Amino acid sequence: MIVTAQKPLDEILELISPYSHILIAGCDGCTQPPRGIREARTLSQLLELGGKRRGKNFKFKVTTVVKQCDSILTAEALKPQIEGVDAVLSLACGIGPQMVAELFPDLPVIPAQNTHFMGEDDREAGILRENCSACGDCILALTGGICPVTRCAKGLLNGACGGAKDGKCELDPERDCAWELIFERLERLGKLDNLKEYRPPRNYQAKAWRLAP
Amino acid sequence: MKSRGSVRCIIIINNKEKEGVILTEQVAEERVAVKLNEEYCSRCSICRSLCPFEAITRDAETGKIILDIEKCQVCGICYSACPARAIDTIYYDHDSLISYLEKAKPEYGSETLVIMCKGSAPDFAEVGRLFGVAKFIPLSVPCVGRISDEMFLEAISMGIGKIYVLACDEDYCRFERGSPLAGRRILALNLMLEQLGYGKETITLKRNSLKVKVDKDLCISCGNCVYYCPYHAPKLESEGGISVDLDACRGCGLCVVMCPAFALELEHWEEESISALIPRLLSEMKPPRLLVFCCQWAFFPPLDGKLSPNIRVIDLPCAARVDPIHILDALQKGADGVLIAACSEEDCKQEKAGGKAQRLVTKLKERLSQIGFQDRLHFCSVAPRYRDEFDKQLGEFGQKIEDMAKGGSK
Repeated sequence: MIVTAQKPLDEILELISPYSHILIAGCDGCTQPPRGIREARTLSQLLELGGKRRGKNFKFKVTTVVKQCDSILTAEALKPQIEGVDAVLSLACGIGPQMVAELFPDLPVIPAQNTHFMGEDDREAGILRENCSACGDCILALTGGICPVTRCAKGLLNGACGGAKDGKCELDPERDCAWELIFERLERLGKLDNLKEYRPPRNYQAKAWRLAP
Repeated sequence: MKSRGSVRCIIIINNKEKEGVILTEQVAEERVAVKLNEEYCSRCSICRSLCPFEAITRDAETGKIILDIEKCQVCGICYSACPARAIDTIYYDHDSLISYLEKAKPEYGSETLVIMCKGSAPDFAEVGRLFGVAKFIPLSVPCVGRISDEMFLEAISMGIGKIYVLACDEDYCRFERGSPLAGRRILALNLMLEQLGYGKETITLKRNSLKVKVDKDLCISCGNCVYYCPYHAPKLESEGGISVDLDACRGCGLCVVMCPAFALELEHWEEESISALIPRLLSEMKPPRLLVFCCQWAFFPPLDGKLSPNIRVIDLPCAARVDPIHILDALQKGADGVLIAACSEEDCKQEKAGGKAQRLVTKLKERLSQIGFQDRLHFCSVAPRYRDEFDKQLGEFGQKIEDMAKGGSK
């Protein structure tokens, strides 16, 4: 899912300060932690309390969208709500506010989140890990399901750099060396031959900005 | 039929200790909610065999029965079962129950008594509907297993014609053995009463449990409930949405709080009914208003106890049901402070679900600190085994709020 972190309330209060009637739009989609209707309501309560202390009397409406990255779902969910609203505060990842801006050209939109990465949610460890950087040219089949583009600090395609120590990256001793993980995994699968194959420099054009679904 | 124990116990309650004094062993002993009096103890071991928490042991050498208060969860089962009346409790003891009945009988104008465990009892009106009675004397206690034979009989001899008992389902009982014990007791009492000519079934027992409800239309299949439920009751369905194994659900309410879509509700503790309670309580309070969200097993209110006009308590099934939305609701609607009273992790009756509450409150406090409200929220863990623990937390936090109100800061 898309990992986001909420902006400090101070910053949000500052951003919404020119407006008084604000629609908070949650997103049930893939933001983690979930930013659905409950989060929208909690945030409205916090902002109302914080606003009062700043002498502002915000009026909030709360709603949620199944996926703010979907133009039809977002239009359907928000159209009936925007009557009398000065601005939309979006709880979605960076896509959401842009979708709202596109659908409602006259309505200011404010992001409540900072969007970080596409993440893997390790619930037992309570960690969100960035394991994919959407490079557009996936080589996971060759690397035993471990992405060197994202998980190797240097993004190397043809094996380890030689700087790793005890399985940890030379740039960050907390970080596993992706190529050591790949080696172990391929060894386990009996596919070490995969490493013999030379991979040419990546095709950066593959990260297209527009694709048909 | 006065119990020897409770008379002494009242003296202890009145004998308030002074603050700031280092507790001597004797004073520390007096703070305790359940006590075993060796002088009366016949060492029969009934209490030991009934205690669900292994808090009562027998010294192998001397044969003495020993109560380990640290393990005691104050269910009152031992108190209700001791044939020698060697156990004292400060909560819902025989004398205070009888004096409550004496007062309540004319007040409610009824000769029907409904005794309910607060763990499984919906509101009084709903309980009335369950039994099909409109007018009755309500008596809500933490676990009906603490009601002794003697208490039932004395109620009947006071002119109570019919007793209804609402217990938890046996496997839902927070004190494990309380509900089954009540069942056996009532069976035996009914047989005896019938022989004495009181007719069949003077005491009617019903079992009930309060469980989670799912609104499938609202579910967004995020899996939060599946992850957080300590009982593995919810399951994600392959076609989307969740199903809940209601036999496994123990009604802690953690999933309700963790659901981002308001798709889950806990019977009797619905989002809206708690929300509606908040302004009602706040309107009858005097400033500085201190609203307490309390795990119903962390603090037992006295039967006739009057709370100070600036304090009101909202009972929850477990601290896991403490909802940030309700905390914020209270602050928005004029509470000067919100206190969360939970059980400690070891005492939690819900597989440590209550511990998650502390994390939620800490998170919320962090967010409140961004807008300057952090001092208005306080989390504490208390246990009914020490009678003044809750009062102490109330006193300290209440003082803090009062100081804040005086200082003009909000």
